[in-house]
Amino acid sequence: MATKIKARQKGDATEILVLVQHPMETGSRKDKKTKKEIPAHFIQTLNFTVNGKSVADVSMGTGVSKNPLVGIRVKGAKSGDKISVTWKDNKGETGGAESAIK
Amino acid sequence: MNKKLILMLAGLGIAFGAPMTASASPEGDLKEFQGYFKQRFPTVPLEAYNDGVNALPQYADRVENWKLLMDFPPFEDDVEKGEKMWNTPFKNGKTYASCFENGGVGLAVGYPWYDTKDKKMRTIEADINECRVDNGEEPIKNLKNGKMAQLVIAFKRLSNGKKMAINLNTPEEIAAYEKGKQYYWARRGQLNFSCANCHVQNSGNKIRGDVLSAALGHGTGFPVYRTKWAQSNKPLGTIHRRYGGCNKQVRAKPLKPQSDAYVALELYQAYMNTGIPLKVPSQRQ
Amino acid sequence: MKRRTFLKGTVASSALAVAAGAGLLRSGQVLAADWATDAFNAKDVASASKAAFGSDGAADSQDIKIKAPLQAENGAVVPVKVESTLADIKSMAIMVAKNPTPLATKVDFSGDSVGYYSTRVKMGKTSDILVYVNSGGKILKASAMVKVTVGGCGG
Repeated sequence: MATKIKARQKGDATEILVLVQHPMETGSRKDKKTKKEIPAHFIQTLNFTVNGKSVADVSMGTGVSKNPLVGIRVKGAKSGDKISVTWKDNKGETGGAESAIK
Repeated sequence: MNKKLILMLAGLGIAFGAPMTASASPEGDLKEFQGYFKQRFPTVPLEAYNDGVNALPQYADRVENWKLLMDFPPFEDDVEKGEKMWNTPFKNGKTYASCFENGGVGLAVGYPWYDTKDKKMRTIEADINECRVDNGEEPIKNLKNGKMAQLVIAFKRLSNGKKMAINLNTPEEIAAYEKGKQYYWARRGQLNFSCANCHVQNSGNKIRGDVLSAALGHGTGFPVYRTKWAQSNKPLGTIHRRYGGCNKQVRAKPLKPQSDAYVALELYQAYMNTGIPLKVPSQRQ
Repeated sequence: MKRRTFLKGTVASSALAVAAGAGLLRSGQVLAADWATDAFNAKDVASASKAAFGSDGAADSQDIKIKAPLQAENGAVVPVKVESTLADIKSMAIMVAKNPTPLATKVDFSGDSVGYYSTRVKMGKTSDILVYVNSGGKILKASAMVKVTVGGCGG
């Protein structure tokens, strides 16, 4: 599942946005064809690092929309700084992406 | 459900008017059509109608949805995919650009149009498929969403910011225009509404928890990314996909994408959008 | 459904090994050790707040700005942006009061992060969106109401 990072300047801070392709199933939805409950499958934790240093630890539940988009802002980041985002879901699946600030 | 809706609409005093124009020419129609919306929404400039319902003051409560979503446009992935396809050569080494004058740049504002040489109405979808077939590839069957929608986006983006400029030069175009105009103003379906009932006479009004967008500008943002369609993993839609949906909403039988009536309707709408810049793709509810 | 309720009642957030040993975890499902199960499974704002921040009371603050639509277009995707100029912001949480489990997401800041968080939440119905902020150990909150109606003019 794809993870995409976007970084841009917002005043004197840098905004970092990450979009993860993930179903974020609550576990209460029923499959229209089989009539069975679709098991819960959602991202639980997501972490942002800048130049290897953690800046934000996100935890989420099923209340976050499908294909979650999460945004934070950091100060003092400059062009060339490395951004890394990693995530883990309730099934133990993981993903992530890396980018550099332009 | 039907009865309830009809009663509710009656309560809202929905007008069921006759076509607004008795004018003898498309130019006259255009002036009247755009003039009507200028009067109805005096604070909205012509160019802003490519934002659809988001341009209307009656949408103020909800416009934040769109503004926040556009922070990280949900269609970026689709735009990238479309652009990649557009630039990837066919097996024979040629690309989509080779099928179009000027590589396709600036052309979208003139679609649909009648080709007097090949004697047919040309739409973007049909031309994309013709390009594929001419270059030894299979045509795309699904004309509502997916790959075709991504390619139409790629083609139209080559004209983004350029104002719609349909020329009704041939008798065939004028005939299609009249056919489209008639379709637009004719009542249909179990609910017996015309496109105009909702999007002209009741533009800006609320219905079934939604706000009706103005007819003016319809199509300038298409293909569209709809949050509602995204929930079933088919977020993109060509304008013919949307026409089918609107037909179903008034309990009329939807037509197939690229059917004659839809092409005529698309031409009528495209002409009414004269002067509005393309903004493709767009995000809507 | 019954199994999950059983799981909620018996598994504490740090009891991963016990849960696995007792066969309470469905195969292939792992509870992330650093995920606040109790907070995310809490059925009301007070319990969620207590589990997430250790307190169910929070004073209102004018310095927490919530940007969300007054009326959601689609309850499945409601964009929310939070900004706060409170001092020493350690964490923020977004809750949808009327959702079956109100806590949607929490973020713990470190390094050079500023008091800003944005995401998209699911809303089952018209509800207040509550934002909790831990400012130097003090828990403060703000709220904004978002109307959710099921629109009918889809295609």
